[in-house]
Amino acid sequence: MIFYQTPEGRLGFRDIPPVLAEILRQVPTCSDLEDEAVEARLFPPPTEDPLEEGARDDWKAYVQPELHDLFQTSRQTVDADLRGLKEEGDFFTVEFSSKHVPAWLNTLNQARLALAAQHNFDEGELSQPGPLQITNEKELALLQINFYAAVQQWLIETLEE
Amino acid sequence: MISSNQTETGTSTQDETAVDLPWNVIVHNDPINLMSYVTMVFQKVFGYPKEKAEAHMLEVHEKGRSIVWSGAREHAEHYVQTLHGYLLLATMERGQ
Repeated sequence: MIFYQTPEGRLGFRDIPPVLAEILRQVPTCSDLEDEAVEARLFPPPTEDPLEEGARDDWKAYVQPELHDLFQTSRQTVDADLRGLKEEGDFFTVEFSSKHVPAWLNTLNQARLALAAQHNFDEGELSQPGPLQITNEKELALLQINFYAAVQQWLIETLEE
Repeated sequence: MISSNQTETGTSTQDETAVDLPWNVIVHNDPINLMSYVTMVFQKVFGYPKEKAEAHMLEVHEKGRSIVWSGAREHAEHYVQTLHGYLLLATMERGQ
């Protein structure tokens, strides 16, 4: 898989193997689920101060819906970009506006955090290299987390240029 | 690596400090967020130069938390919300 920029400033990935194209397609849906652990990680409380119970309630009522909308808008942007995945021979290509990079970073992060929370990964497991063979859902989740991290890293480097 | 004392964090404007006790905005360690991503967020949200953003990121990574900003409560809430928007694990607490 190769990351590239066009002279017009658009970004893209080409020579994506089918399995990675499928994993990429799943980015917007990874965090769009009802799971207590995922919910807790994506929407943490603003303070742990025991005297601030009211502030936590207000946060839930007024701030969390805004964050929910922000995350959903990012996922929708990435989902629309991924609908442009094109099959070229044995591989896939996708291209998108550089203005969508913040949405991609946000959605990739949502996906990575949600997968880690859902599968209860600890720091030791996360620091392992990806498995050579996928035999269960948790190994697939680790592959997704690592692959999405590589995409995120490239996008961050692109922003720094 | 810098320590997490007040002199190393951003501060609010002078007129706020007389009325409000300072609140600290704290970012907690998270094994998922990339170090480069956390640095980028600190630069964007607080306008910190890369060196300062990296110092805070390393403090989060090595010590488990870093006070990234101190000042009026209202602004602290705004920063925590913004950091949550970037999916960082951030909280606010009363300054000592």
